[in-house]
Amino acid sequence: MTFETIITLIKIFLLLGGLMTAAAYLVLVERWMAAWVQDRKGPNRVGIPLTKIKLFGLGQPLADGLKFIFKEDFAPKHVDKALFRIAPIVILTAAIAIFAAIPFGSVLPPLEIEGVPDPIPLLVTPNLDVGMVYVFALSSIAVYGVILGGWSSNNKYSFLGALRSSAQLISYEIPLGLGLIGVVLFAGTLRLDAIISQQADSGVWNVFLQPLGFFVFAVAATAEAARLPFDLPEAEQELIGGYHTEYSGMMLLLFLIAEFLHMITAAFLIVILFFGGWHFWGLTGAGDEVTWFTAIARIVVLAVKILLVVLTFMLVRWTWPRFRFDQLMAMAWKVMVPLGLVNLIVMAVLVEYQQDLADIVGAESLWPLILISWIVTIGAWIIAGLYAPLSTDNTPRPMSMPFDAETELN
Amino acid sequence: MTGLWVLSQADSSLATAIKHPIAWTAFLSAIAMWLMLPRGSAKGRRLGAIVGIAALGCLASCLLPLGSWSDNAVFWILAGVTLVAGVCTVTFRSPVYCAVWFALALMGTAGIFLVQGAQFLGVATVVVYAGAILVTFLFVLMLAQPGGDAYYDRISWEAMLAAATGAVLVGILSMTIGKLGLDHLNPPAADKLLENVLAQEHVAKLGAELFGRHLIAVEIAGTLLLVALVGATSIVSAQRNRPLLKNNGRFVATRQEATR
Repeated sequence: MTFETIITLIKIFLLLGGLMTAAAYLVLVERWMAAWVQDRKGPNRVGIPLTKIKLFGLGQPLADGLKFIFKEDFAPKHVDKALFRIAPIVILTAAIAIFAAIPFGSVLPPLEIEGVPDPIPLLVTPNLDVGMVYVFALSSIAVYGVILGGWSSNNKYSFLGALRSSAQLISYEIPLGLGLIGVVLFAGTLRLDAIISQQADSGVWNVFLQPLGFFVFAVAATAEAARLPFDLPEAEQELIGGYHTEYSGMMLLLFLIAEFLHMITAAFLIVILFFGGWHFWGLTGAGDEVTWFTAIARIVVLAVKILLVVLTFMLVRWTWPRFRFDQLMAMAWKVMVPLGLVNLIVMAVLVEYQQDLADIVGAESLWPLILISWIVTIGAWIIAGLYAPLSTDNTPRPMSMPFDAETELN
Repeated sequence: MTGLWVLSQADSSLATAIKHPIAWTAFLSAIAMWLMLPRGSAKGRRLGAIVGIAALGCLASCLLPLGSWSDNAVFWILAGVTLVAGVCTVTFRSPVYCAVWFALALMGTAGIFLVQGAQFLGVATVVVYAGAILVTFLFVLMLAQPGGDAYYDRISWEAMLAAATGAVLVGILSMTIGKLGLDHLNPPAADKLLENVLAQEHVAKLGAELFGRHLIAVEIAGTLLLVALVGATSIVSAQRNRPLLKNNGRFVATRQEATR
């Protein structure tokens, strides 16, 4: 066991523990948020057991976990047993494995211990040069969990949920990729830590530089995480529980944790790609030279930003109504993909002619790029708005009239 | 056996080939595959699995040590998973299970790429095959055969010929590569290779190679895909302009108008 192995193991334990705790308590936060939006109190009773201490309901996640563990793990008779068991494991494994490539801080300052290499990057796989593609690959594996869960349940509601979900996840992978390619082009690397460093060095977060890319990515990431208004895979009012209708107990918990982890992943990616990761002006500095103060400040800044994005997700949940399925697909293919392509082309041109632009303006700053990018964004936004106007028309379509085979065949 | 002995006397290179464990691996795995392939009866599938395990053992006996024990363990586990998943892909009867096993085989392949240091290839395998193509496949399978089994899935064409051809091909390839590989797989060379591939600018190097030396191939492949896309769109839009519905004999809408 070398020191590197030990350090990697420590990082994995920290990450897993942190993620699971965060997921548990974010569920509580979500319930509080729901209560606040709906003007009620929410879970505030469960505190320390066998006492009367309530602690604002902070014991709720533990109680929820215990409830899930002690529930009967029941598989109905009509399900396909093997795939029914495998599906939640696949989805949770993929959701957790994504975090191997996601930095949860910057670097630690030298520890002054014999044999410990320094500085220690706060990232489980510091040598992975394809971080962004790795994240993308594992998020596409998550579709398997949903499809297999829905299919093996052998139930029409589950199956419809799985079908909708796989169509949605596959469709929104394209705008997701288009949104992040702009960032990758500008940073010139696929490593997430290098993308943060680039933003910290220039002091300009990508959200200012490519607002169109941010918009496309944020919408696609919400859809990939299947959060409202994109939660068609499980739409309770229509599909009972969607693809996890037949699950109960621990198996259901695995699905729910995986869903929450997807949201946390989306928040991590939005913050890292577009909001400068651990960087904040005048507080964290830039570069690999850190003191203990800046190192901890970077971790805290990253955590606070992620919490803010997660809170936004939760607020969006109670703000927007769910899309209808054709609206969802039209949005992916007719709005998000073209906008993503526009962003990609603009970023490619700007990166190519960055130097010429700086020569014309006569200064080595990013202002001209930002200006052009915002002009393009507003233009593309207006065109998209004119071309695909907001449709709230829910009257029955002619498509749903009786099918006339004779006309159809002729 | 006597026939084999005579043959081996006649040709010494054939004799060494027959003594080589890979020959036995190929032979055993051909029998196992024939037994396990869906061929109209379920007889002998278990026996086939046992013979298959024997073939794997035979193959394991001629593996080269790759360095430290952890390297060995990771590679062998990944290779074993990939092989078993590959066999299961062609021998299972439910198409959904076949697709899932195929996904596992792809994950194993991606893992082997990662072990070798080809990070981009490994991850791209997962994105392209497991993430996009196979999911679409699974989607279609589930829509077409929600029940899982179809009668035409229970019989594969020419199980005997397929198993024999596969065994011969795999045997010849692995013996050739095994012979060649002995020189390349010396530890120093392997280390140097790994260092080169694991360079910091791994993806940049690969991209430069792809869009420099192989530019035309990449562009042609892209154009082909674009042609397919345009073709699919034109087929769909040709159907869209036909009158769609009649309501009491009265023309209502073309498909295009209906979906507007």
